[in-house]
Amino acid sequence: MLPHRMTFPAAVFSRQKGHIHLGGRATLAALAVFLFATGTSAAAPSVTAILDNSETFVGQPVQLGIKVSGATGATPPGMIAVDGLDIRYSGQSQLVEGRNFQFSYSSVYNYTVMPLKAGTFTIPPQSVRVGGSSLQTPALTLNVAASTGRSARTNRRSDTVDPNKIGFAELILPKSTAYAGEIIPAVVRILINARVPIESLGQGIQIAGQGFTRNSSEPKESIEEIDGQSYHVFTLKTAISPARPGKIEIGPAEITPLVRIARPDPRRQALPKDVFDMDDPFFNSFFNDPAFQPSIRQEVTIKSQPHTIEVKPLPPNAPPNFAGAIGNFTLKAEAKPKSAQVGDPITTTATVSGRGNFDRVTAPEFEDDRGWHKYPPAANFTKDDDVGISGTKIFETVLSANEPKHNVPPLIFSYFDPVKESYVTLRSDPLQVRVEGNAAAPAATPAPALAAAPRAGASAASPPFAAKQNDILGPLSEPASTISTFAPLYRRSSFWLTQLLPLLGLGGYVAWKVRKVRLADHAAQRAASLREQIAELQRKLRRDDLPPDQYVADATRAIQLKTALAANVQPDAVDPATATNVFGADNFTRSRLERLFQQRDELRYSGSAGNGAGQLSDDNRRELLELVETLHT
Amino acid sequence: MIRRARCLAACAAVILASPVLAGESGETAFAKGSAEYARGEFGEAIEQYENAVRSHEWSGPLFYNLGNAFFRVGDFGNSILSYERALQLSPHLPEAEANLRLAREQSRALELRPGGIERYAGFASVDVYAVVAAFTFWIAASCGAINSFHQRRRKGLVVLIAVAILVFAAASYAVRLLETGSKGGALAIITAKNAEARSATADNASTVLPLPPGSEIEVVSRRGDWIYATLPNDFRGWVPASAAEFVRL
Repeated sequence: MLPHRMTFPAAVFSRQKGHIHLGGRATLAALAVFLFATGTSAAAPSVTAILDNSETFVGQPVQLGIKVSGATGATPPGMIAVDGLDIRYSGQSQLVEGRNFQFSYSSVYNYTVMPLKAGTFTIPPQSVRVGGSSLQTPALTLNVAASTGRSARTNRRSDTVDPNKIGFAELILPKSTAYAGEIIPAVVRILINARVPIESLGQGIQIAGQGFTRNSSEPKESIEEIDGQSYHVFTLKTAISPARPGKIEIGPAEITPLVRIARPDPRRQALPKDVFDMDDPFFNSFFNDPAFQPSIRQEVTIKSQPHTIEVKPLPPNAPPNFAGAIGNFTLKAEAKPKSAQVGDPITTTATVSGRGNFDRVTAPEFEDDRGWHKYPPAANFTKDDDVGISGTKIFETVLSANEPKHNVPPLIFSYFDPVKESYVTLRSDPLQVRVEGNAAAPAATPAPALAAAPRAGASAASPPFAAKQNDILGPLSEPASTISTFAPLYRRSSFWLTQLLPLLGLGGYVAWKVRKVRLADHAAQRAASLREQIAELQRKLRRDDLPPDQYVADATRAIQLKTALAANVQPDAVDPATATNVFGADNFTRSRLERLFQQRDELRYSGSAGNGAGQLSDDNRRELLELVETLHT
Repeated sequence: MIRRARCLAACAAVILASPVLAGESGETAFAKGSAEYARGEFGEAIEQYENAVRSHEWSGPLFYNLGNAFFRVGDFGNSILSYERALQLSPHLPEAEANLRLAREQSRALELRPGGIERYAGFASVDVYAVVAAFTFWIAASCGAINSFHQRRRKGLVVLIAVAILVFAAASYAVRLLETGSKGGALAIITAKNAEARSATADNASTVLPLPPGSEIEVVSRRGDWIYATLPNDFRGWVPASAAEFVRL
């Protein structure tokens, strides 16, 4: 197995001097809690120094890092003087590394080393004060070759990532021979240069090959530094199981991520390196960073080497109850309850733990199940790792005794051990139980409380074949009363016909509401029209410039309209009695109304009122107006 | 005239002699199959149960018994297929579940693993989701109609409409997910012995995966006598069409 090395993503945990990225203080606080919770390594402080490249050209800077581990608050050298090299402090970063959940905390002090002339230079040991002591870095050698301006520029361009060297892949298999059906843990590591922005991982990690099956977990991402270069590392743990004997080629593991690659920009060759042509490494690295360069999206294929595995067939003479389990297992068994009556259910729990192909781990069998009725077991697997190589599989089998018993027979489980290259049979101790009562008839109906027990419809008669271990449940004696169909409900016409009911209901409701609204609109329009006419007539009556016959006619009409509005009747059908009833008028008002209507008729049909006077005094007009205006419900 | 009558009589005799066309009910065939099964004549039992299947009087117990009969003759592929059909028709038939588990263990059949969301959606059946979708659709439509005829919008109704639309959308998605998923309409069972999925539509193409009888596959497409299918363990390959049968009839 691979050593478990864990490095936190630099984007989260790296800290430039005076500037905290992303998570900020909350992240650091969480980190601190996490480190204390899991335990940081308490090793003695140590100091080391490293150059990211021991060979360079004049004008081509390299990075010097002084790494202080196991201590905080170190004082790095302020100035490093070497003739021919311009060494400048460029910042501090902090690094947390984890290995098997043991974490170490380091500070890295970075320096930019700018070669000023060709030659071989030695950077002498530097003193770093840690706590009260002083530690020394090792001496470092840097070879600087002479360079023309052109070559320096060319080298600077090499800061961009070569598309062919974006990353690499590893497929790690711990063995080259295996047995058919054996589970082989495998790890795929995809390493992609951290300076290359990844847009997507495409189809994910694929493992080519035939003749094997695999279970995979989700790939995990981390950042690792290898030879001074940071990589995004995608680690996929998988379990491979060869399906047939012979030579099987596994892999290559392959991934086709979509990345952004710097586009060659010929104009940059013609531009000065920077405004002052100072060969400033910060300037260079900043503008050569893919994030700031014109770039293109490109799918790149990263492949590992394939592996060939020699798959051997399982040896002959397997135990009779061997069902294909390969690995290393242990068996525990228990039975509950400890005392029961004949025919009562007793649950035996067999726990198979270990490492191997759990999909082929079947329920342990009983050594001798005579006198017992056994039901198909239920299995539950709990895996201990990501891919289910190791774990615990629990089988619950329900038994019912046909006669008094003192124990449940031992359970037997056989597997093939690929390390010992032999079959192993595990046998549990007999499980002590006390079953009392009279012996049941051989064809007795089993305990009804069991989930898998035959129901009332099951055949009660014993079939002529003998009941065996792991036997199926018997046939059902009656077909279902209704004829079924395989078509899902939503594809059946009955389903859509049923939808007509709510559709009709909803349609009816909508139609009823629409009609109601329309009717309401009609009544409202009529009322509005009546109100308008009444208002117009009252305005005319107030103006007092109408001839008497017209005045009386308008007053009468106004009363008819008011009555029609109040009682929802036709205005022309309104007479004094109707108006009196609608408005609940007293006798005096009633007589005034009758006189008004009579006067209107006389003026209309005879041209003069009954009293012979074709005139209306002001008082009469005022009385009529008052009569019209005071009538209301 | 007499000749025509004779012809009609002969046709009637032929029709009546045919068990299916003569209207020998599926129930009768089921009873005969059960009788044969009880006598240990499993081949005859299979024939009778298949007559019942041909009469389209399908039921969970019919396919369950047929699965048992196939199990007895050692045909695990057809046994598992029949148990699967029984469970499609009667999803809560514990005998079918138990025997299916046993048959799978015996034949070492490979199973398709449902995806993450499909696994969660699988706690209810397609029919349940269809009913929920229909119910919530009408709830949303009714509340929408009621709300539109009110001059003032009722907040409670608007919330109810929103919830109903969300549940309708989720149920519709679940229907689609389950129907196109590993246990949906494209589910087929390997019934042939020594079947192998191959990388191309040729008998001599390289083997992608050996498929024991009863293994599940999800048919993607068909080309001639071959079907392209999703296989257990996330493989894909070509399987002879004669080696597999759809669960749904």
